[in-house]
Amino acid sequence: MKVAKVSAPAAELADPAAAVWRGVPSESVSLAPVPLAAQPTEYIRQAWANKAYGRTSEAMVAAASDGQRLYLRLEWEDDEKPNGEFQDAVAGVFPADGDAPLATLGDANKPLAVWYWEPGRAGPLNLTARGPGVFHKDNSAALSANGALNERRWSVVISGPAAAAKAGKVGVAVWNGSNEERAGLAAVSRDWLKLELA
Amino acid sequence: MPTATRQIAWVYDLNKCIGCQTCSVACKVLWTRDEDEKHEWWMSVNTQPGLGTPKNWENMGGGIDAKTGKPKPGHQPTRGEFGGGFDFNYHEVFYGGTGGKAHLEPQAPREDRWAMNWDEDQGAGEWPNSYYFYLPRMCNHCTNPGCVDACPTGALSKGEFGLVLRDEDVCMGDRFCMEVCPYKKIYFNYERHVAQQCIGCFPRIEAGVAPACVRQCPGRAVFVGYLDEEGSPVYNLVRKWKIALPLKGEAGTGPNVFYVPPLSPYKLKDDMSIDYETPRIPPEYLESLFGPLVHQALTTLKSEMDTVRNGGSSEMMKTLIAYKWQELLGPFTVDPAGIEQVGSAAGG
Repeated sequence: MKVAKVSAPAAELADPAAAVWRGVPSESVSLAPVPLAAQPTEYIRQAWANKAYGRTSEAMVAAASDGQRLYLRLEWEDDEKPNGEFQDAVAGVFPADGDAPLATLGDANKPLAVWYWEPGRAGPLNLTARGPGVFHKDNSAALSANGALNERRWSVVISGPAAAAKAGKVGVAVWNGSNEERAGLAAVSRDWLKLELA
Repeated sequence: MPTATRQIAWVYDLNKCIGCQTCSVACKVLWTRDEDEKHEWWMSVNTQPGLGTPKNWENMGGGIDAKTGKPKPGHQPTRGEFGGGFDFNYHEVFYGGTGGKAHLEPQAPREDRWAMNWDEDQGAGEWPNSYYFYLPRMCNHCTNPGCVDACPTGALSKGEFGLVLRDEDVCMGDRFCMEVCPYKKIYFNYERHVAQQCIGCFPRIEAGVAPACVRQCPGRAVFVGYLDEEGSPVYNLVRKWKIALPLKGEAGTGPNVFYVPPLSPYKLKDDMSIDYETPRIPPEYLESLFGPLVHQALTTLKSEMDTVRNGGSSEMMKTLIAYKWQELLGPFTVDPAGIEQVGSAAGG
């Protein structure tokens, strides 16, 4: 997927509804649940042994850059159930180190960089992932995000330093709040999406 | 799990707790004064029998299976099940100009109202044999804490003094800890997006000062100390005399908060004569909370009380009465007025 080179103002690029995004081609990525066996604690494996999660099957990804920042536009369909204690969330993920495994959101030796967004938090989180839910908050990268829910479709733009695109690939993870999904209980893209800087 | 650390423990004498909530408020003014912590009561006192806090916590699962050692799935308590943290109509009552028409009320629909001690003093039973007692509850700083094992980020740890401590910078707010805790004494801060619970007044303990709940108790109903300190009140009550028992020990996490079970008045028969065979608090109810050892504990208590009534002396009764307040504090006898306090619990 090409990272569209765009010279629109940052405020426009940050808005998932902005007209500039209509000119940026998006690709569909197929998602699958993070395997139960990979969940990092016995409690999670026990509690979710008979509960389905990560059933969001698809997300749309578009990427643009103004030279300074990389803007990821992510879109996916929410279910009709209302959220209770947990919120919907999404993340764009990049390999921090070569061939980190995507299906488990990294592992102990091969981490992922995660740009994580959830409504209700003060802002997006820059995380290092060393496995499903094995997340560490990293304050170094300045991320921004905006999201909106329209007729059960979320559209979110998360932006960060353009250098993230140098990894050459990106993945997506989605959490369904109404199903109490969080940590490693996510739907993750089955394959990396190649990022080509235009 | 570190094993070299000594284990701090609390003992609550339910024969002395009057449900005044001083412990709850002592904790709140020290640790949960911020706006986003309004609904959090790391220390709370409930009336038993009762639904308590969070509402119906005894049926919310969690814990560790004794046979398999595996953690058991638990319910995620909701904001509504904890309740509390209400806004009130102070301005309307004090300045609204409607005189006696406006009453101070939680600003929430009636059906949504629950709070830390909402069913206080309701109890159970029918007059003249109704009964209840108070149960102070806090994080049990368990020996086998399911919360520490359940957390995917490693934010929780079993640390110094045997306390279960946490790092809010690491916590992602995943809340598996809340599900697995069989006591449901972990709260969620919706603004900071982190799980929070009693930290055993860790900074005070480090300075040799007793936890606020213990120091503030006006009824001298709670002891603190190291579980292995032979000759100490906590050691004697738990390990030597065995009259201080864990709450819901079958939950499998090895709690380190213990309770001297409550004696109760005898039941009245239909003709209003006293039934000397039957206490008002059903022994089977106490067994459901404190296990089968509760019967012997009550027998021992009664026997020691009789000894003193008949002019004898009892080390156990001297310990429980706590003639000298300092004896409740274990080795943590430093006066907080004398230590340097940093930071502010209120508003950052």
